Amino acid sequence: MEQHATISAEGLTKIYEDGVCALDHVSFAVKPGEIFCLLGGNGAGKTTAINIFLGFIPPSQGVAKIHNVDIHRDPLEAKKYVSYLSDVVMLYPNFTARQNLDFFARLGGKHALTRDDYYTALRRVGLQEKAFEQKLKGFSKGMRQKVGLAIAIIKESPAIILDEPTSGLDPKAANEFQTTLLGLRAQGKAILMSTHDIFRAKEIADTVGIMNEGKMLAIKSRKELEHEDLEQLYLNYIHGKVAA
Amino acid sequence: MLRILVEKELRDILYSTKFSITFGASALLVMLSFYVGIRNYQESMREYESAKSVNVSTMATLTDWNGVQHKVFREPEPLQVLVNGVANDVGRTTDMRVRGELSLFNSRYSVDPLFAVFRFLDLNFVIAIVFSLFAILFGYDAINGEKESGTLKLVFSNAVSRADFILGKLFGSILALIVPLIVPFLVGCLMVIGFGVPISADEWIKLLLIILSGFLYFGAFLAVSIFISAVVSKSSVSFLFSLVVWIFSVLIIPKTSILVASQIAKVPNVDAVDAQKRKFLNQQLAGRQQKMQQFMQSATFDEGFSNRFNAFNDSISKIYEKERETFFQRLNEDWRNKKEWQERWAFRLSRISPTAIYQIASSNLAGTDVALKQRYLEAVNKYQEQFGEFMMKKGVSMGGMRVVIRSSGQQTQEEQPKPINVSELPQFVETRENVAAAFSRAVPDLGFLVVLNIVLFAAGFVAFLKFDVR
Repeated sequence: MEQHATISAEGLTKIYEDGVCALDHVSFAVKPGEIFCLLGGNGAGKTTAINIFLGFIPPSQGVAKIHNVDIHRDPLEAKKYVSYLSDVVMLYPNFTARQNLDFFARLGGKHALTRDDYYTALRRVGLQEKAFEQKLKGFSKGMRQKVGLAIAIIKESPAIILDEPTSGLDPKAANEFQTTLLGLRAQGKAILMSTHDIFRAKEIADTVGIMNEGKMLAIKSRKELEHEDLEQLYLNYIHGKVAA
Repeated sequence: MLRILVEKELRDILYSTKFSITFGASALLVMLSFYVGIRNYQESMREYESAKSVNVSTMATLTDWNGVQHKVFREPEPLQVLVNGVANDVGRTTDMRVRGELSLFNSRYSVDPLFAVFRFLDLNFVIAIVFSLFAILFGYDAINGEKESGTLKLVFSNAVSRADFILGKLFGSILALIVPLIVPFLVGCLMVIGFGVPISADEWIKLLLIILSGFLYFGAFLAVSIFISAVVSKSSVSFLFSLVVWIFSVLIIPKTSILVASQIAKVPNVDAVDAQKRKFLNQQLAGRQQKMQQFMQSATFDEGFSNRFNAFNDSISKIYEKERETFFQRLNEDWRNKKEWQERWAFRLSRISPTAIYQIASSNLAGTDVALKQRYLEAVNKYQEQFGEFMMKKGVSMGGMRVVIRSSGQQTQEEQPKPINVSELPQFVETRENVAAAFSRAVPDLGFLVVLNIVLFAAGFVAFLKFDVR
């Protein structure tokens, strides 16, 4: 596996207690300054892979590493180097956007941040100024997603994991989100993002991993995809028209 | 990390609507319980002082110590009105007699039966009933609620250990519960001082210990509700389970344990014991009458008759009194032993419930535990010895009949009998239990509360280790 990968999976396998194989010897690597999109439909194994990377479930086989730390062996150490954003960001409704940011920043090891630092992060993700000190109770999904992204940014971790981050966002919000993500890539972050949005994946991914039924069918670089119809390629792979 | 989590939990609760409601209700109830307690204490003191004064003024009109019908009264204690315990069920007045069995009557509830139905709103009630409910309200969704709201996943995507998280939940919630208790409690203390209730240093310490035991008590409820929230996946279901636990702990177990104990350890009822006593007294009376008849048949009615009669009367009175005392003592002791055995069973069984443990501990600290009656009876029995000796010195008969021969004719002003000097009577002083004695009686239950907190928290922690945070 790549030596400099910030996020890496080696033969990652997950078989649940009921015998369902959710991941079958999946391997990939995400280097600094790279956006890696896990592309697949429901039940492809994307979320299972992410859950293993976040230490929520142990792998049945294989190793998942963040910043070269085995997440299963030393989850607390590995999690220091990763930020996470889910498809539906749910935060503490009694806290304001800034208070939520403050709590999660401190959880992520950032203890000396000022109010200005929080405001800067919130501005960066495009949250309206008037919402900074408002309670999360009345926030829309898009607004919550922005705060979630600010949380991921402010931790300044080398790895960022995003689970279907743009699902349910309106086009404007999705576009703003994409812009921020590209900015993070430029900063050298290794970004692992699961999505079933083929167009978004083609647009921003440096590498696309096509998954189906727990298997990594193909890993294609941006260069390889330049002259390909990703949608057709994806369908070909999942229908078995192309050998994995 | 723990500090951050505790702080977050505390702030999350403090900013919530449920905290505002809890704080408002707690502040009102705690301050009201202090106010009601203070007013009750003042009223009880007025009644106590007035009863004492009526007792003295009634005796002051007498000219012969033989006619004295002395009463002693249980002095109200400030802590008893904050933690009622059995204080309102136990009689407050005792008819003092030279000899014989003493009993207590005129309890607060016998005078105000309405209060017996609804009971007083004391601090103990607020902690035992209301705060335990608040503890459940704060803890029932501690784990599964965060999962439902989606924040659990985000929290655990950071370097947070499960131990830190659950400890943060527990400590944060406890601190959030302490605020609604401490603030009005301090106001209540100022009210106590402001209204001039005489609380000694020992009693302040006892009150502090009662509050501390209250913290341990709702800590147990928090731990149990956190445990349930780590076992049950839906917060609505865990609320239901927590409520069932609360109902069992507060309402069912304490009452059921008494019923079960009464089946395990049977105790004859007081009426049966009284019937045995009456039967014995009737037998004694018959025997006494027979002896008296024999005496009278052989008596010579000369000048020395009254002295001989009184000497005979005293001698048989002594014998009968001794017999009666021995019989009653045996009967009472037997009944008390059985009762204590039953009480022990009831307490053992009730200690399944944190509410019962807390109530036993707090009433022990306040001196309003079930032994209050016995302790007070011991005090009045001790006083009875002093009183008896005093009355003997004043020539009062020990019982039975007495013959007094007076010369006939007009009495001059000088010969008029003088009123008795009531101040000569020995004073009944009820010693208040010191903090060490009260604490030593409360220690086992305080220990139980500590153990219960540890066990329930450990159970919650183990359950949380298996909890799927996804």
